[in-house]
Amino acid sequence: MLPKFEYYSPTSLSEALDLLEKYGEDAKIIAGGTDLLVSMRDRILKPKCLIDIKKIPELRRIEYKEGVGLTIGAAVTFKDILEYPNLEKKYRVLWEAVKTIGDMILRNRATLVGNICNASPAADSAPALLILDARARIINKNDGVREVPLERFFIGVKKTILKPTEIVKEVFVPEPPANCYGKYVKVMRVQSEDLAVVGVAGLAYRDRGDLIIRLAYSSVAPTPIRVKEVEEVFKKKNMSLDEKIEEAVKISSEKVSPISDVRGSAEYRLNIVKVATRRLLKELVEAV
Amino acid sequence: MSRRKIRFKINGVEKTVEVEPNKTLLWLIREELKLKGTKKACERGDCGLCTVLLNGEPVKSCLVLAVEVDGSDILTVEGLAKNGELAPIQRAFIEHGATQCGFCTPAFLIVGHWLINRNPNPSREEVVEAINGLLCRCTGYKPIIDAILEAAKYMRRT
Repeated sequence: MLPKFEYYSPTSLSEALDLLEKYGEDAKIIAGGTDLLVSMRDRILKPKCLIDIKKIPELRRIEYKEGVGLTIGAAVTFKDILEYPNLEKKYRVLWEAVKTIGDMILRNRATLVGNICNASPAADSAPALLILDARARIINKNDGVREVPLERFFIGVKKTILKPTEIVKEVFVPEPPANCYGKYVKVMRVQSEDLAVVGVAGLAYRDRGDLIIRLAYSSVAPTPIRVKEVEEVFKKKNMSLDEKIEEAVKISSEKVSPISDVRGSAEYRLNIVKVATRRLLKELVEAV
Repeated sequence: MSRRKIRFKINGVEKTVEVEPNKTLLWLIREELKLKGTKKACERGDCGLCTVLLNGEPVKSCLVLAVEVDGSDILTVEGLAKNGELAPIQRAFIEHGATQCGFCTPAFLIVGHWLINRNPNPSREEVVEAINGLLCRCTGYKPIIDAILEAAKYMRRT
């Protein structure tokens, strides 16, 4: 049984923002509800009011513009993303990450914007979004839209910079670098629906011949994190590729701060970070 | 907490019901409409045993609010058989003995039914992918997968 609340299903964004302005901290946005309703059942969250955004047409929009990027509205489900034409090729790393989330039935309801607003350290869509330089477009009743890079969006376990009167209207993912190769590795206890023990997303491409590498992780720090120091390693001139990979593995394992929980101990996670990073880097450098 | 009037179609029948916002679709199906085929188990989206079709797509009804289904079309296991005749998926489950304790069976029937209507020629991998979110604790997945593949054959024949 869920705690009691009032339910609103506005049909325009301005109506939703009015409600948020009125209820503030007492309100929660519901889109897929696959995280929110579980937290409410567990009495972790007890909002007085739920604002359902699924009837707001502009938030259901997903659109890719060649040379510009991909816009994913707040009510767009993972299923919508997986089925959108050409994303499997164009945004491979994001597509792969989305495919690992929950299961097919949950992906019919769960949304990408919900995944980042929930701000779980294990959010599978986050590492891919981080290495693709995604930005959250945030809006409230009185100010215009502000754009925040995803790296600055997460501030702690289940914590974001979002204020109670604000909503993430959409996530914008810029056009990926030409001929890039991306991959998401999700290490799980079972080959079925579960959260990651370690998640790592990688992107590789050539910029005027120079190899560029990006890496980001889930489930190994209070927030999903992009390890930018690794990117510097691959720009160095006087190291072999193998040395760079080992240096990158070392840096990544120092930058993460995994905890022990039901899915694995901190030591195990740290070891998996090294193994998964090394394997992924070897694949990335061979692919471009 | 104000009650809301919702209208929806379930197994082909129009209904109008007043519900409180904090009631789930699962509650609506089992407690208000007394359709007990849809099972209540984990109530947190893990087991998938409360799965029904909402506007033609599988959803875990414990994670959908009743007020959200206003204007929707719902199919539960009770709506599979037509005029006393079992659906292909039901015949195939009987043929393969794809039930053990039976508790998870309605969810597997619903997802199997959805899959073979969408794709009458699924591969074994596609069946496994479709039922990924459903748990059977008697460990009877093999006959379940066999039954869904067999039901797809029935579909192709008709």
